[in-house]
Amino acid sequence: MPHSVLHLELIPSPQITPVAMTHISDVLTSNDIGKFASLQVLARQVVEGFCAGLHRSPHKGFSVEFKEHRSYVPGDDIRTIDWKLYGKTDRLYIREYEEETNLRCTILLDSSGSMAYSGSRSQGLTKHDYAVRTAASLAYLMLQQQDSVGLVTFDKQVRRYIPPRARPKHLHAILSELQRQKPEFETELGTVFHEMVTKIHRRGLLIIISDLFADVDQLMKSLAQFRHANHEIIVFQIWDPDELDFPFRQWTQFESLETVSRRHLVDPAQLRRAYLEKLAQFREQLAGGCSRQRISLVPMTTDQPHADSLAAFLALRGRSR
Amino acid sequence: MTFLNQALAYGALASAIPLILHILNRSRFRTVQWGAMHLLESIIRVNHKRFQFDQLILLLVRCAIPVLLAVCLARPVLTGSRILEGNAPVSLVILLDTSYSMNAVDASESRYAKALDAACSILSSVGRGSQVAVIRTGGGPTPLFDQPLFEPEAVIRRLRQTRAGYGASDMPAALDQALVTLSGMTHARRRLIVISDFQTGDWDVSGKNSMESIRQRIRSMDIPPELIFLRTGSPVSGNISVDSLDVPRRALGVGQQAIVRAAIRNHGTSEIENARVVLRIDGVEASMSQMNLSAGGNTQALFPCAFEQPGSHVIEVEVITDDPLSDDNRLAAAVTIWDSIPVLLVDGDPGAQPLQSETDYLSIALTPFTFGRVRLSDLVAAQTIQPKDLTETLLQKSRVVVLANVAKLDAEQLSALTGYVESGGSLLVCAGNRLDLNWYRDRMFAEGTGLLPAAFGTPRGQIDGSGNSSRIVTQRYDHPALEFFNEPKNGDLSAAEIRRWYELLPVREGGSSTESVPSAEQHGNTSRESVILARLDNGDPFLIERRFGDGVVMQMATACDADWSDLPMRPFFVPLMQQLVTTLASQVSPGRNIVAGEPAVALFAADTDGTSDGTGSEVTLSIVTPDGSRRTVNAAPRGNLLLARFDGTQRPGVYTLTLPSAKPLHFVATTSRRESELDILDNSGLADLAESLDAEISESVSRYLEQDRLRRHGREIWKTVLAALLAFMFLELVLQQRFAGVRT
Repeated sequence: MPHSVLHLELIPSPQITPVAMTHISDVLTSNDIGKFASLQVLARQVVEGFCAGLHRSPHKGFSVEFKEHRSYVPGDDIRTIDWKLYGKTDRLYIREYEEETNLRCTILLDSSGSMAYSGSRSQGLTKHDYAVRTAASLAYLMLQQQDSVGLVTFDKQVRRYIPPRARPKHLHAILSELQRQKPEFETELGTVFHEMVTKIHRRGLLIIISDLFADVDQLMKSLAQFRHANHEIIVFQIWDPDELDFPFRQWTQFESLETVSRRHLVDPAQLRRAYLEKLAQFREQLAGGCSRQRISLVPMTTDQPHADSLAAFLALRGRSR
Repeated sequence: MTFLNQALAYGALASAIPLILHILNRSRFRTVQWGAMHLLESIIRVNHKRFQFDQLILLLVRCAIPVLLAVCLARPVLTGSRILEGNAPVSLVILLDTSYSMNAVDASESRYAKALDAACSILSSVGRGSQVAVIRTGGGPTPLFDQPLFEPEAVIRRLRQTRAGYGASDMPAALDQALVTLSGMTHARRRLIVISDFQTGDWDVSGKNSMESIRQRIRSMDIPPELIFLRTGSPVSGNISVDSLDVPRRALGVGQQAIVRAAIRNHGTSEIENARVVLRIDGVEASMSQMNLSAGGNTQALFPCAFEQPGSHVIEVEVITDDPLSDDNRLAAAVTIWDSIPVLLVDGDPGAQPLQSETDYLSIALTPFTFGRVRLSDLVAAQTIQPKDLTETLLQKSRVVVLANVAKLDAEQLSALTGYVESGGSLLVCAGNRLDLNWYRDRMFAEGTGLLPAAFGTPRGQIDGSGNSSRIVTQRYDHPALEFFNEPKNGDLSAAEIRRWYELLPVREGGSSTESVPSAEQHGNTSRESVILARLDNGDPFLIERRFGDGVVMQMATACDADWSDLPMRPFFVPLMQQLVTTLASQVSPGRNIVAGEPAVALFAADTDGTSDGTGSEVTLSIVTPDGSRRTVNAAPRGNLLLARFDGTQRPGVYTLTLPSAKPLHFVATTSRRESELDILDNSGLADLAESLDAEISESVSRYLEQDRLRRHGREIWKTVLAALLAFMFLELVLQQRFAGVRT
């Protein structure tokens, strides 16, 4: 199957605001689309699929492209015997084909309460809004290149699972689901991921969009299960700038976005350094764990346009392929 | 603790500001809906108590800062237990060293200027109602006022007019007087401050015993005073001093040449070349010499001089040099120049033929020019009388009386003669064959209470020389009457043959007659004891002298004519008699060269000045002191004479008494040159001295005043508080930074 090329009608760029999203143009402007029009999400490793695509399939069988002959051994399907060659050589040979298949991509979107944070520098955009736009962009991109895309939304449990489809109309379903999501409840990444391992049977590409505010060890164990199932994983970690530099000065009562009863009145100046050290330690643990699991960890901050971050990551990934 | 700016201390209430800010901050917090709670909570959970403790510490430090600032601005004063004394009045005695060494200049200012400033500063700082007294120590302790005063200002005014330059300080005596003064003062707080350069000599002479006695005395006082030493001098070197000035001790006449000998000492460690030494007579430069002064050595300068006018003169030798102490660069002496010396010769064996009288040879010897009818004038104007003609009037007109072989005098004559000698006259008694030995022994000697220094004893030798003759022993003579013969060219006294003489039995102090008497070199001529001036070779005294009253009596063992010896035949007879008589005449009593502190006494005949009506009324005279001030002196009648006495001679220098006839009479007060050694006690020596007297040492007056303020008011500690304030501000910064770095 030839390369899919994006042909989109250019749409005036709207302001990035958390508005209702029923069309891809609500998420991606024409400029954004242009930034990664020539890019495709390419699975780093061979993935399993039915449709011919850009991705080479490890399976030999019903395909369109001959690969080789090999001698028949008992147990081989007799339908695969090349009878013509048998007539010429009087030996039984099996015809083997190499087929191109599509990518099965599943986007896991964190809709927990912590994703509802919006700092002063993110122009009113919550982390969840940012994550939704990123997910929509990725879904659009995948579908445009004939790959199948699924969506999982979760907080402490899986809220909704939309299996991957490659049909263009599937984008609407995904966008509708994304629109319905509101960040609330606590996060249980480990539990959710463990549950999803059993639901996503066929190996493919998992794109996790989350702030990853969970226990790192448990998280890594869950991701390791995905990796064990030969999934390729890309984690887009969404940060608000406030969470990275902790700019608070006056006495502040911090209330949890996930649990109302958790609140603390502190002098931020007193614990800023400790917070930053703790943050660096957390990020280092994440980066180390992901590196060991060969998981791509992509930090994104909400004060940067998500299209820019996404385009930069895809360009980097394309070069490394 | 008290505050000098008490109102500002209320600024300490500002310490509530950090507390209020803290409470306000906690109440006016903002609320943030936060996602990354797992990061925050882990920190808060681990450091919760520590946060509270840190906040408490920080809050305390912040509260302390305005408190410290307010305390600093309020100028706190630390006070100890003595705060109760406060500004209580004090009885204060200051011993101010006014010896001339205090005029030494170190660091462009004299020691005395510093001492004066220190004394005035101390007096200015005493509390209201304090009783103060200042005792000057130079030349002996001298109170500035007769009684302690309650007005320090008056003492300061008087003190500002004083100058140093007095003689050596007698510190034990000064301390003694100070303690006496303190014991009579009123306040319970008593303090004795010694302001001095603490010369080694001033304190070494006292010795440990006297220090111990002073210490015991201080301790035994009902209210022992605080003793404080305040040194104002620093070591200097290179001083030059004129240590002594020798002028002829015999009487000098107009035109007679005299040799003035000055002993100059270089106290420094380097030789001074071509130092100018000047001799001045009555303030006019008469001679000048240049000499090298070896390091640490003595050098003598000799100046010949003569006087053109009779009367009282002052000679002064000065070394022109630039040394740290100029007071001792000059030394003066008073000299009396005689126009003529009236000598009364009482001839006890008159004769009709020339040279047969007892006094013929003597008269010729005393007035050789008159006898030789040359145009030169004799210093001595001799008048010869017979014993029966001796009257009080004649005695008063004579400077020297010679009794030559006088058998005896009647009671009235003896009384007049005794009075004459007592009031300063001089008497020479020569032996002879006519002497009434009993009368001389009973009346003239009278067991040592009479005029004679010795009783005439057994006659020795024979007139015709058949017996054992004797000769005068040649020796070095220290008496001014005979020192002339220390030079061999001036004659050999031993050349004369003494054929007959009386054994002289001198008297010692206490009245008993004995052979053992001191010689002239062993004894000063101010003693009342008999002094043997010369001896015969058999050991018998030849010439004896003794002071009697204000006068002096000299006694010769043989006759003054040629009957008993060949003295008159000898060439030295003339100078011998001249020296004896002029020396007797020069024994001006009281002396004109006095020790500083001794009274200056002038005894003069009212008639000769032509101002007295002879009735013996009192006369007021004026005297000019060395510092230029003029004082009045009352001259009271004493017999036919007038006696003026001036006691204020503590300052060394020239005192000029103006007689009613407008003639000046000079006195020169001198003092020991001990002060010229400018060495001062080193720190350890001063510490030892202070320890021996239980005294405190103040390095400077500012230090003393600070200590005194501390004693009375306490110590200002605003600098310390300021340092604490800065430290707390720095601490606040450090804590703020440090507390932000809590455990993760």
